[in-house]
Amino acid sequence: MSGSGQAKAEGLPQALVQALPEALAAELRALPLRYPQRRGALLPILHRLQEWRGHLDPADMRLAGEIVGISAAEVFSVLSFYTMYRQRPVGRFPIGVCRNISCWVNGSDKLVETVKQELGIAPGEITADGLFSLQEVECLGSCGTAPCLEVESRYFENLTPDKVRALLARLRAGASDPAAAIRSAQNEA
Amino acid sequence: MENYLSTEFARSGPLLLAEALNKGRYKTAQRVFELMTPEQVVDEVKNSGLRGRGGAWFPTGIKWSFMPKPPLKGPSYLVINADEGEPGTFKDRAIMEKDPHLLLEGILIGSFAIRAETAFLYIRGEYLTAHDALATAIAELEQAGFLGDAVFGTKHRLRIVLHRGAGAYICGEETALLNSLEGRRGEPRPKPPFPAVYGAFGRPTSVNNVETLANVPAIVEHGAAWFKSVGTAQAPGHLLFGISGAVERPGCYELPLGTTARELVEKHAGGVKGGKKMRAFIPGGASTGFLPPEKLDVAMDPESLKKEGTMLGTGGIIVIPEEISVVDAARVFSRFFRHETCGQCSPCREGSAWSDQVIARFQRGEGQREDFTLLEEIMRGSKQRTICVFPEAFAGPLGSAIKHFRGEFESAMTTQQAPHA
Ligand SMILES: Cc1cc2nc3c(=O)[nH]c(=O)nc-3n(C[C@H](O)[C@H](O)[C@H](O)COP(=O)(O)O)c2cc1C
Ligand code: SF4
Ligand code: FES
Repeated sequence: MSGSGQAKAEGLPQALVQALPEALAAELRALPLRYPQRRGALLPILHRLQEWRGHLDPADMRLAGEIVGISAAEVFSVLSFYTMYRQRPVGRFPIGVCRNISCWVNGSDKLVETVKQELGIAPGEITADGLFSLQEVECLGSCGTAPCLEVESRYFENLTPDKVRALLARLRAGASDPAAAIRSAQNEA
Repeated sequence: MENYLSTEFARSGPLLLAEALNKGRYKTAQRVFELMTPEQVVDEVKNSGLRGRGGAWFPTGIKWSFMPKPPLKGPSYLVINADEGEPGTFKDRAIMEKDPHLLLEGILIGSFAIRAETAFLYIRGEYLTAHDALATAIAELEQAGFLGDAVFGTKHRLRIVLHRGAGAYICGEETALLNSLEGRRGEPRPKPPFPAVYGAFGRPTSVNNVETLANVPAIVEHGAAWFKSVGTAQAPGHLLFGISGAVERPGCYELPLGTTARELVEKHAGGVKGGKKMRAFIPGGASTGFLPPEKLDVAMDPESLKKEGTMLGTGGIIVIPEEISVVDAARVFSRFFRHETCGQCSPCREGSAWSDQVIARFQRGEGQREDFTLLEEIMRGSKQRTICVFPEAFAGPLGSAIKHFRGEFESAMTTQQAPHA
């Protein structure tokens, strides 16, 4: 662990840190200490920033880079490799329907169709009210409980078009607190 | 032999530490830390014949024996591959969500065996529920003194760093996983150097799959001879077979290696859904390709499947029903692999895109006679001079589809080009 990397983390650009809740800023500063090299903390830092903002924008890339000691351009090169990092806003409930083999064999296209009908959006689109966005994703490791979809990495399994309609209604009803809405929808499922 | 991997799979939430201790968990790990030497653990695992469950089936004890021995010149690491992303595979998730302490006890013993004081558990980003179960379980161990500066009160130290991936199938390849762990793009590294020499953060590293490590506590508890009493001579032990697709009772089934695909599909998974006919089955995850139903009596072990020109892979069986064409199913995979190549090597990048275009052509009923030769050339060409074996993964479904289901592709050709009688 290099001493200069340490100094850099403590001297985080004030403007950037101030935008963050204090607890999150402290957590981000501590993450590199878990790794033999500061850079190991890059993916976890990006996850936390995305959870907070909903996506990652250039300020987040600069901040992440400052913390681990690399340039914002290099952060961008890394994050653009991974499908879970979003470079622009998505819906409050980003829906990812698995399109891979076991889900497809069990009717995943009907789930996509149901979302389209209910919300009027195709994969890659966001509803006008900003509540939902739709995406097709690859195998989620839920093949034995197919077909399935995920919302912020929370899974809904053994789905039917009716269950999808019920899920959308529950999420919509809880839109003021998305994380809580997703949790309670999971418990009811 | 009783089940030793899936005892908790029927639960709705994870087995917590208090209950795990009541079931006798961590007694083996404690005995290892208090009474055994790393060599003894490695020898037991070597003698057991345990082979890696991540798909490559490399002997685990031998992998561990490559790790440095004292005097150590710096840290060694254990890296746990929990990136499970091979379509048709969901066994590691079941272990982590239902029985995180089974994996963690394996990690304790594995770390001891290779003299690692830090273990990095790399879990795919989407497995958030499993991540949370593991985070809780790790905190329980820290509280109990089973991790930290004095593991079980001995002089041994161990910490486990839980690390989330961010969505990239290729990060399951072990050297891509190491790059990703280091905060880089998840691109595979040229080998050599192998991870045992230059792994995570440049240090000697053993990368082991979740299910592999979940086998270790039982092996050390009951001994190598016990483990070898089931399975095949070359691949002993149980495997968590995932069965999905069009079957009556999809799920994870713990059975001896060498169980036939027929027994798994018909007896355990209840046969094809709705009593329909089977068009094809995939023996061990997307990259192992298609087999026709006549091959259902194949024994599910690495050697038997190799004889059929395929692989055991992850043991995730996928059943394709009669009403779905193999051309369409092959397209699901060609699109997947095209999406998931890391793009470093041009034969792989171009080959995966090109083959997807050709399969799409067949799907539209516009295949041409030359396309068969083209696909074969793509598969041959893309296997040359690439950094990792990804091209073999995408050639699996492609090659087997053309080999066993050529007729379907022939009827998906443009009418002018239909095969001559
Ligand atoms: C494209 C590709 C994807 C892979 N994905 C995984 C995976 O998701 N999980 C896994 O354990 N191994 C995966 N592997 C195998 C690993 O490279 C490595 O062999 C394994 O983690 C070693 O652990 P084991 O010896 O316990 O099986 C993959 C390999 C390739 C080439
Ligand atoms: S073979 Fe393909 S996946 Fe592997 S390193 Fe090369 S481009 Fe990446
Ligand atoms: S194919 Fe959909 S979860 Fe695996």
